[in-house]
This record gives sequence, C-alpha cells and structure tokens, in this order.
Amino acid sequence: MRPRALLLASAASATVIIAGWQLGTLGAVTAPVAQGGSQTVGTTRSTDAATSDPGTADAGTSSDSNAAIDSTSGASDASQATSSTDGTYAGSTVGTRFGDVQVQVTISGGAIADVTALQLTDHDRRSVMISNQAAPILREEVLQAQAASVSMVGGATYTSEAYLQSLQAALDQAGF
Amino acid sequence: MIARAFGAMGTVVSLRLDGASDSFDADAATAAVADAFARWEQSCSLYDTGSELSRIGRGELALLDAGDDVRGAYEIASAWRSRTGGAFTPHRGDGLIDLNGVVKALAIAESGSALDRLGLLRWGIDAGGDVLVGGGAVGTAAGAWRVGIVDPADRGELIAAIDLAGSHGRMAVATSGSAERGDHIWTQPDASPIFAQVSVAAGDILTADVLATAIVAGGRTALEEFTERFPIDVLAVLVDGSLMATPGWPREPAGCRA
Repeated sequence: MRPRALLLASAASATVIIAGWQLGTLGAVTAPVAQGGSQTVGTTRSTDAATSDPGTADAGTSSDSNAAIDSTSGASDASQATSSTDGTYAGSTVGTRFGDVQVQVTISGGAIADVTALQLTDHDRRSVMISNQAAPILREEVLQAQAASVSMVGGATYTSEAYLQSLQAALDQAGF
Repeated sequence: MIARAFGAMGTVVSLRLDGASDSFDADAATAAVADAFARWEQSCSLYDTGSELSRIGRGELALLDAGDDVRGAYEIASAWRSRTGGAFTPHRGDGLIDLNGVVKALAIAESGSALDRLGLLRWGIDAGGDVLVGGGAVGTAAGAWRVGIVDPADRGELIAAIDLAGSHGRMAVATSGSAERGDHIWTQPDASPIFAQVSVAAGDILTADVLATAIVAGGRTALEEFTERFPIDVLAVLVDGSLMATPGWPREPAGCRA
C-alpha cells in the first residue's frame, strides 16, 4: 500500500504543477497587440533588467515591480513549451496588496525583448511610476526658483573669466 | 552662514559654511578646501605644464611611477569607463590621458570630507557649477540647500531648481554641457549632440559628474541606460531648448502651476 500511496501523491503534485503552468499562460498573456512571424519563445533572462529599478523605487513600488516580474516570468515559462509569435502582448491586470499591476511583454525573434509596466496603481488607485526613464517635461513643470532664493548655482563648468558675469558671482558677493 | 570664493582649476570654487558653534573658523575651513583643490591641480592638471599628468603626457614620467593621486584618479576613471560602456573615458581623442572628468569631483569630495572633519553644521561647495553639500544638519529639512540650474541658452537665468539633501539622499548635482570648456567630453565625431546640458543629481559628486558627462557624450541611449542602472535624477536640456526629466527630478508642487 505504501508505494502506491507515494505514487498517487507524486501524481497529485505533478497535476498541481501543470495546472499552475496553464494558469500562468491564461493569466498573463491574453491580448496580443501586434503580431509578427511565428516563433518559439526562448528565454526570460531580460525580464529582471528591464523592469527592476533598484536605485529609486521605494519599498512599495519595488514590491510592485517584483509582482510584475513574477506574473511575466510565469507566462514566459509556460510559453516555452508552446509556439508563440513575435509581437507585443498586454498582460491581464493582477491585484497585489500594493495595488494593481499590468505588464506588457514584447517578443522579438523568439525571445523576450522588453517588459514594461503598463499600469500600476497604489491603494488609492493613483498611478505609480516604477521606471526611472526621463520623459519630456514642460519648463513650467520643473521646480522653479529665482536667483535670489537659491544658495548655489549649478551649470556646465565656467571659466574664471566667465564666473565674473555669472549668477554664482552675484550670489557670492551678496553673501547668499 | 558665511560665503567664500577662490580660484582653482581654471574656475572659481564657492563655499557656503554654517558653523556648529562660535568657535567655527571660516578661514580654516576655506583653507582646507583650497589645499585639497591645489593638491589635485598640482598632480592632475593638464593646464599646469609642470603637473605629473602633463609630464606623463610628454613621456617624461611613466603612469606607474606617478604618485598615488594620479594613479588613483586613473584607476577610478578607468573603472567608470567600464561602468559606462566607454561613454565616459579618461583618454582624449588623441590618446592623451585626461583626468579632468574625475579630478574636480575628487577634489570636491575630499574637500567635503575635510569640512565634515571640522564639524560644520552644514556646508555647500560649488566648483564651477558642480555642487556637493553636507554637514551634521544636512538630512534634516532645515539643512537642505536649494541649488538653481542655469539655462544654457541664457546663463543669466535659472531653468530649474533642486533641493540637495532634502530628500532621496541627494547630496550632489553636477552639470555638463556639449559646449563645455576643457573638452573632456568626446561625442561621436559624426553625431551632433542631442543635449545642450545635462544635470545629474546623485548621492555623491563623482557619480553625478561622471554620468552627466557620459550622458552628454552618449546621447539618448546613454540617458535611458544610466537612469535605469544608477540611482540618479536627471534634468536634460535638449539642443532645441526642450526639457526631459526623470520622475524624481523635483516638480512644482501641484496647484502652484497656472
């Protein structure tokens, strides 16, 4: 009886693993946005570098990005066993305890070329940025200051001669 | 708060000094900073024909026989060349070793350590437009310094501001321009620069200075790569005058905009 029970238990575990695999496929890759030639998906190695943002993310958002990576790698692991096409795929929205997460996966030449966070909200449903990418910004949007309200002036290096006409020289003389 | 300024490395170093007590000696603090700049200039300046680095350039001295400062600076600059995939380099186009890209930052960093040892409440060093702050009070809201960023199209105007040490552990902001003097920025010969000016805020002045230079040299690809790989905030002024900024670069508070 004992060997038989063990065999059944192993079979049950295998079923759970396979079910999890299929859930991964269904859960993350649902809506093809663009399509290309038929390819087999190869690797997931690029996911971490593309999504993680160790430098600037605070505890909350970095956990969010981990959630995004988890849901994506689940999808791509599963896709290894099946045939897939090049293109950009939007994942389904996954609720985490930090908020909602959705990722977009770009597959090119049979490998994941890029993973981007499409949507991320915090508890209050505000969008949260996890990327540290620079984006266009209007002059009025950056923090403004009058020369008289700053202590020092940053800029490309000036010569000693140019210093004489600089804002920094004015501040130095005024003792600001 | 006491303001001081003196000439070094072909530019001017401005100091802001807040003493922690009445015994605070602004002259000693200024002298400590001036000493650090003079030492780095003596060893690594290409403007000074008698410096160790100038002698290496003329073949009169081997790099390995140079003093600790030159070899140390060359090692640091070489490490940053690897880290930036060559966007930053300690070699000029003609092959001459040029450590201008790190030497000013190293002098600023060393000066900062000297001011910390003197126990200042808070201090700021602005060396030709590159700024480092520190001191015991920095890290508190009252200890932050507001730094204006100059408009490359009109150097009499400020284009933006950033509070150093106010948040995110930003202690330094360095700015590079594509028309910068000293020519330690080597843009690709066939590529015209995309950025007129790049300001990088970071936890330390060396990272800020090197990456500002590397982004000016490497263009948009470098901007995208380095903002993802390093904990920095960036404000870039494109040659057409438009701006790009990372999410962490300080914004006008909501409601204050027209």
